[in-house]
Amino acid sequence: MNWWVKRTGQALFTIWAVVTITFVLIRGLPGDPGDRIREQAQRHNPDMSQAALERLIEARIPASYDDPVHVAYWEYLTSVMRGDLGYSTFRRAEVAPEIASVLPWTVLIMSLSTALMFAIGLGLGALMAYKEGSRFDTAMTGASIFFNSIPYYVAAVLLIAFLGYRLSVFPARGTHSDATDPGLSAHFIFDALYHATLPTLSFVITGFGIIALTMRGNSIQTLGEEYIRVAKLRGIPDRRIALRYVGRNAILPMWTTLLISIGFMFGGAIILEEIFQYRGMGWLMFRSIEHNDIYLMMGTFLIVTIAVVIALWIADATYGWLDPRIKSGDDSESY
Amino acid sequence: MSTHETTVTDGRSHSVSDPILEIRNAEVVFEMDRGVSRVLDNVSLDIQRGEILGIVGESGSGKSMLASSTLDAVVEPGVLSGSVTYYPEEGDPVDVLELSDSELRQLRWEEIAMVFQGAMSSFNPTMKIRDHFEETLEAHNYSLSEGMSRAHELLSDLYLDSERVLDSYPHELSGGMQQRTLIALSVILEPNVLVMDEPTAALDLLMQRSIISLLEELKEKYDLTMMFITHDLPLVAELADRLAVMYAFELIEQGTTEEMLQNAGHPYTRALLNSTPNLDAPLEEMRPIPGSAPDPVAVPDGCSYHPRCPLATDQCVATDPPSEPVTESHLIDCHHWEESIESIPLNHQKEATTRTTDEERNPMDHQNQMEGER
Repeated sequence: MNWWVKRTGQALFTIWAVVTITFVLIRGLPGDPGDRIREQAQRHNPDMSQAALERLIEARIPASYDDPVHVAYWEYLTSVMRGDLGYSTFRRAEVAPEIASVLPWTVLIMSLSTALMFAIGLGLGALMAYKEGSRFDTAMTGASIFFNSIPYYVAAVLLIAFLGYRLSVFPARGTHSDATDPGLSAHFIFDALYHATLPTLSFVITGFGIIALTMRGNSIQTLGEEYIRVAKLRGIPDRRIALRYVGRNAILPMWTTLLISIGFMFGGAIILEEIFQYRGMGWLMFRSIEHNDIYLMMGTFLIVTIAVVIALWIADATYGWLDPRIKSGDDSESY
Repeated sequence: MSTHETTVTDGRSHSVSDPILEIRNAEVVFEMDRGVSRVLDNVSLDIQRGEILGIVGESGSGKSMLASSTLDAVVEPGVLSGSVTYYPEEGDPVDVLELSDSELRQLRWEEIAMVFQGAMSSFNPTMKIRDHFEETLEAHNYSLSEGMSRAHELLSDLYLDSERVLDSYPHELSGGMQQRTLIALSVILEPNVLVMDEPTAALDLLMQRSIISLLEELKEKYDLTMMFITHDLPLVAELADRLAVMYAFELIEQGTTEEMLQNAGHPYTRALLNSTPNLDAPLEEMRPIPGSAPDPVAVPDGCSYHPRCPLATDQCVATDPPSEPVTESHLIDCHHWEESIESIPLNHQKEATTRTTDEERNPMDHQNQMEGER
């Protein structure tokens, strides 16, 4: 029980540290977001009084640049904890709802590609291990290394060129077609998946290889274990040995990898979303940097950090349950 | 020569009266880059129903291969040839090496089971002990409730808290508990033969002793035939009815434990007996065997022991000695066994005659004396 308190404390500390570091870094950047708001407001409405302007800035920025650093820091920290991530000058809206509106798109393509990547990688890796040394194994090992060495953005450009334009089988840009209204209709879901195909594919094609190779190595190691031989002599059916003995024990070391990649999912992939003009987290993050939009930047970084920290927390918490040899204990953490 | 050998083979099949397992000319061969590796070389052996047979040999002498052969479980790419015949109590003899996969699956564990060295590595580390028992019963279509109550009984027989052990993961048990649990798991389907490959290796002396006595109890209660493979001659001598010694992938001598301890004929067996550490024997009388065991790719011609044997002659270099039946049960593969008995004295025999007269030789007595003087 003690361990949980400690581990959760560590997670919270990490989040706090990231909030603080982001604050310090962004404070160091040139430019005052207040000025930008003032400029925008004056351009929009030149007759606005000075007092009204100040009130507007006060409402939109959690911590004014005029305040001393410690006051500004405290104000930022408390408003972040309330869920108020500040005002985006580029989107001209509150940061939190802005992020909430693009996050589902990123989660869609990233969860699709992570799921497919692991499904293909694990299955293929196990199959290669079972046929170790065969022509299938050699060919697939070569293919895995080859595909894994292609950067995903190169694959993305090639996919757009061939499947997007030359053959025109999949849409090359956007999250959904303008004609469809977002909603829980079958038509919209199909349309969203249709648009997600190419981005997902470029991740899966370039990502499954390393998973397959890792799984292959782990499985070969597990297949050589004495307990596999004993289980065969005991007459345990091959299917059960493959799933409960080899598969299960070979996946264990990859559990943490899987959860970390789920965590990073929330950041999307900036380059990928740029290439496909896919309005997700990566796209938003890139825009925020481009426009020196400080609070939007901080908000997106923060979401990614929190997601990774939570994913790691889940990985740690569940590892002891998956592998009984690892106690979720105080002194025997070894992974 | 050839006529001699046939009579020997005949003699061998009579070496036990009621065999449960009969191994004939078993050979295991591995193809390797640097040549053919023969890790079991023409071994013939009978196991008497209800006996405990000890197989002794140094590391890399082919003991584990012999054990695997009884179950046709030689690890790939090893190739086993020869014949292994299992004689059930009722019914026809079974040619183990000719069985189909499903028949083999049935023979293993239901008729002949095996305990491996290193109990820890014999269990799936992510499965509870209970699951190991249950999946074994299910795989062989045994009744789960009956089987599990037998598991409880077996574990209790082995002085384990059955409920606790079944609910544990393998790593939660101590080495001795794991080994006893593995023994229980190997007899869960009530096999007739139990082959044990170094079941006491990696255990401390006390645990070794207690496992040995537990095995004796188990054998009586469940009517088992046991093949006990070890490098520890004194340990198995306590337990076994008969002993067989392996050297360089061959059986070189076999006989009753009494015959082997008192009247060993092969120079290697005698050297092995003399090399055994013994609290009673003074250190200077312990004799290591000079030289080292041969490489399986290049086993010497003739008698494989001749490069290390003090009695080796041209005959030993030229011809591999056949098994010579000294008594009905005692077989020696040596041209010069009579000379060997005469010229290589056994430490433990020498000691037995000298101990009573020469108390000074016993360091324990000596120490007691010193303490008395203080």
